[in-house]
Amino acid sequence: MSVVLADGVTRDYRMSGGVVHALRGVTLAVEPGEYVAIAGPSGSGKSTLLQLLGGIDAPTSGHVEIEGTRLDALGDRALTRLRLLRLGFIFQRFHLLPVLTALENVELPMAEAGTPRGERRERARALLDYVGLLERASHRPVELSGGEMQRVAIARALANRPALVLADEPTGELDAATGAGILALFRRLSADGTTLVVVTHDERLAAEAGRVVHMLDGRLRD
Amino acid sequence: MGWGPRSLARHPLRTALSLAGIAVAAAMLLDMVMLSGGLERSFADLMLTRGFQIRVTPAGTLPFDADATIAGAGGLRDTLRADPRVAVAGAVLGASLHARRGDSVVTLFAYGVEPEAQGIYQLESGRDLAPGDSAGLLLSQPAAAILHARPGDQVTLAASLDPGTAGARAERTFVVRGMVRWLYDYRGQRSIGLPLATLQAMTGRAAEDRVSLLMVKVRPGADAGLVARSFRERHPRVAANSVADLVAAFRVRMLYFRQLAWILGTVSLLVTILLVTTLLTITVNERLGEIVTLRAIGVSRAHVVRQVMAEGLALTLLGALLGAALGLVTARYLDAILTSFPGLPAAFSFFVPRPDAIALAGAALLVTGTLAGIYPAWRAAGAPIAATLRAEAT
Repeated sequence: MSVVLADGVTRDYRMSGGVVHALRGVTLAVEPGEYVAIAGPSGSGKSTLLQLLGGIDAPTSGHVEIEGTRLDALGDRALTRLRLLRLGFIFQRFHLLPVLTALENVELPMAEAGTPRGERRERARALLDYVGLLERASHRPVELSGGEMQRVAIARALANRPALVLADEPTGELDAATGAGILALFRRLSADGTTLVVVTHDERLAAEAGRVVHMLDGRLRD
Repeated sequence: MGWGPRSLARHPLRTALSLAGIAVAAAMLLDMVMLSGGLERSFADLMLTRGFQIRVTPAGTLPFDADATIAGAGGLRDTLRADPRVAVAGAVLGASLHARRGDSVVTLFAYGVEPEAQGIYQLESGRDLAPGDSAGLLLSQPAAAILHARPGDQVTLAASLDPGTAGARAERTFVVRGMVRWLYDYRGQRSIGLPLATLQAMTGRAAEDRVSLLMVKVRPGADAGLVARSFRERHPRVAANSVADLVAAFRVRMLYFRQLAWILGTVSLLVTILLVTTLLTITVNERLGEIVTLRAIGVSRAHVVRQVMAEGLALTLLGALLGAALGLVTARYLDAILTSFPGLPAAFSFFVPRPDAIALAGAALLVTGTLAGIYPAWRAAGAPIAATLRAEAT
């Protein structure tokens, strides 16, 4: 069973100038342990596809399944719960909560999932150690560099042991050297069996993936 | 503490200014709540200071008005004392007396009292007038100050002084026995006390046995209202009222004060709602990217709502605490101004800091803080995740 399946999905946006067809019938399946990169120029529909795969947007037609569960059959509460427990998200701009420490940011999804305090603290520390930031556990985001913030965001994405990690331009805000560190971390995640779907402009990052799918004008090219 | 309330620390100056605004509104609310019930409570407390629950006064006027007196006081007092429900009944006469001070004349307000049945003063130092002590005198602090007298000193008083010849009529010398606080004096009032019979004699009111009022204390279990009513029915030329009757009449007269207090209190609550809602809406809009990210990673709408509302409540509670302190200080200041109006008893209070008033103001603010968080919380929880993330990315 695929971890995620997009079956003939389209996504249209109604704009003042008319309807924009962001996705035009995309079918994509990602198997457990796969590392898939979605590449393509700006406006090709990469991020829209990622949002549909992550259940944070709904297709105009077609459907998405996560581990065999059709997302269009779920209500908001169930879909939110599925995102919490089965998916991990990494965003270009990190989006950590600035009032929480690195440790608390990683703990947040576990707290929402109801993980006992001691257990989640222990796991958050282990995850920060995994991304090489244990010594910065008590620092707030404002005290961290861009690369460090993205590492905390990666640790947060892994908090509830997701079946699938979705990353949208994870190196987009980082310089080359810092981005290389994040690449290495993704390589390690994949080697450890994490299923990854990464949207990227970064050819180096795409080259790391086991499979690269290219998008153009809302369609997969190959 | 959750991320919502902690977010208040992100913009300290903005939060401080909002807190100041809420504190001012909360202070105003507290003052208005204290004012709305304080007048009545203070009036009742003052009337019951020494436990006298009934006042018999000249019909149609107030006690101690220049010529408003009740004739035949002894008979009325005896009637009252004969009622088995009455424990104590005493009479008081108010009149002006004069004293020479060097080459000037000092006018004093004199209370003629029956020390064994009095409800209008409290002894502060020295001793009270003893039964049969016709030469004894009691002084208030302002009277003592102007007369330069203290317990043991002699003071000569006259019922009238001719300003042309400085000749005195009905002049008598008294010995100061004690210092007292007159319960119904206005601030700085120069008041003295002497035996009722002596004052009646000095002011020409002995023949008709005139007094300004009678005060009555009923026995435990007796209904003061019924005692007053039955006395009133038998003696229609005087006004006999229980303190409860007087408080009810006072409440009617002070209605506009209460209405004003409620209107201003409501305005302060609306200001608080607007302040908190505005601040929360601004901060939610600024943090919409963070909030939809939380929603994207699986944080529930309920969690977002709780945090935003907790932020509003934290802001309101902090503002309320500051406002309570500010409200108590301003109430004291305003009370000092208002009670300095001539003719108002100094012991009277407009703002009475009662626990129920503070609890009511606190509860109103709590509700306000909750209401103020509804719109920003709804906005935060309902923000479209994908569209907001797209807007953030551009």
